[in-house]
Amino acid sequence: MMVAGLWVATKKIDYTWRWNRVPQYFVYHDETQIPAPFDGHVATLSKLGDKMRIKVISDDGEEAVFEVDSNAIEVSENDTLFEGDYLGATFEWRAGPLLVGLWNTLWISAVASIFGMIIGLVTGLCRVSNNPTLRSLSITYIELIRGTPLLVQLFIFYFFLGTVLDISRIMAGISALAIFAGAYVAEIIRAGIQSIPKGQMEAARSLGMNIPQAMIHIILPQAFKRTLPPLAGQFISLIKDSSLVSIIAITDLTKSGREVITSTFATFEIWFVVAFLYLLLTSVLSQVAAWVERRLAVSD
Amino acid sequence: MIKTVDLKKTFIGRGQTVHAVDGISAHIKPSEVVVIIGPSGSGKSTYLRCLNGLETLTSGQIIIDGVDLTAKKTDLNLVRREVGMVFQQFNLFPHKSVLQNIVLAQQVVRKRKNKEAEGKARMLLQKVGIAEKENEYPIRLSGGQQQRVAIARALAMDPKIMLFDEPTSALDPEMVGEVLEVMKQLAREGMTMVVVTHEMGFAREVADRVLFMDQGKLVEEGTPEHFFTTPQEERTKAFLRQVL
Repeated sequence: MMVAGLWVATKKIDYTWRWNRVPQYFVYHDETQIPAPFDGHVATLSKLGDKMRIKVISDDGEEAVFEVDSNAIEVSENDTLFEGDYLGATFEWRAGPLLVGLWNTLWISAVASIFGMIIGLVTGLCRVSNNPTLRSLSITYIELIRGTPLLVQLFIFYFFLGTVLDISRIMAGISALAIFAGAYVAEIIRAGIQSIPKGQMEAARSLGMNIPQAMIHIILPQAFKRTLPPLAGQFISLIKDSSLVSIIAITDLTKSGREVITSTFATFEIWFVVAFLYLLLTSVLSQVAAWVERRLAVSD
Repeated sequence: MIKTVDLKKTFIGRGQTVHAVDGISAHIKPSEVVVIIGPSGSGKSTYLRCLNGLETLTSGQIIIDGVDLTAKKTDLNLVRREVGMVFQQFNLFPHKSVLQNIVLAQQVVRKRKNKEAEGKARMLLQKVGIAEKENEYPIRLSGGQQQRVAIARALAMDPKIMLFDEPTSALDPEMVGEVLEVMKQLAREGMTMVVVTHEMGFAREVADRVLFMDQGKLVEEGTPEHFFTTPQEERTKAFLRQVL
């Protein structure tokens, strides 16, 4: 029904669907033409799989060898050549802008997640520590980040810190994302640590473990298990939030989508494709989290 | 072995001050089994928890095996290795198997090799009678079995003293016996033990000395015969009338 309704609606505004234009923005066959480097002639042609090897000799006796696709060869043996004549062409599959954007979104999110997790873990531990300085520092950081929009943080990181500290836009984008995620992760970690019964820490201490040992071996593994669902949710959010880095001109999936639209005018198709690609990333992460959760459930 | 001098622990909260432990002096000798009894809220658990530093003292002094716990330079972690503790709620590590529960601290704290630690763990599981459960997770064990694992876990550190904080209070009645049996065996082997319990039978049978606490104070102490047959204090008599 909904699909039919949308179809009618797009008919009404005279939208022409051009799904056939989309695939070339994922991968495309790139042709490279190979010119002759000098005046001379073709000495030999030899077959090499589906490639053809061309040996050319210049008028001065200089030799050179090229490989081109067999079906794109444009010379035959003993042909006279002038500099710049095309010998043939090679074809290569290349990643189109959507695939490049997808890859950029993927690695930016991954790096930001790793640093976000580290920042969150350290901040979460500070948040539950007995040291009042560490505690209030971590609270300030969390409140500052949670209380301001990510978009504004990105601008501050890019325009202010990027200029003052001379960091690249990609570094600025990743740091902003990591620091943003870190604040939320810290609160999740804190909740996880505090949900572990006090007796666990007491048992660990009574066996002679110091606090770091008890944290590493007893408290954090249990806290991690309990906080896995909200942590997964946080990192799924991070993947989606990473679309905001396109605003500081990082070529992520969203920005690639916008660029493709400017050259195709296939607005509807591209945004659907972009949405689907985000969904692909986030659902893979969901599956991974569910798998880890199942594995950790053995002790339940 | 253990000496406490005028031990005080005060909890302050919500405008009221609770003197949980109010000046307890006691001396526990090596291989002695001391049972502390008393009504709930009498401070006996708090006193026990002070003995391995789980609670920080308000004032007083504790000397364990010649080491002053209250001295600033004392590393409590070093003392705790020598003082095993068994809790009412077992406090086994739920994410570790039975064997790993016993192995972990040996490796982390005592720096024992995996093989040595596992050997020791298996030997102790044998001793507490649940060798066949080594690969189970704690949640799959009965309360009595969990508590026996907890005892084995504490023993794996080769403690000189064992503290028991109401070890049978959270157990179903039919499981109390198996835990007490393990504790009796330990007592026979000459372990120094301080036991907070409501099991009067255990106190009568195993204790070398019984301490009776009420409202943070040591009311009466003596051998089980003296304590259960000819108590001196009115408070003790009233308590015994209730529980016996």
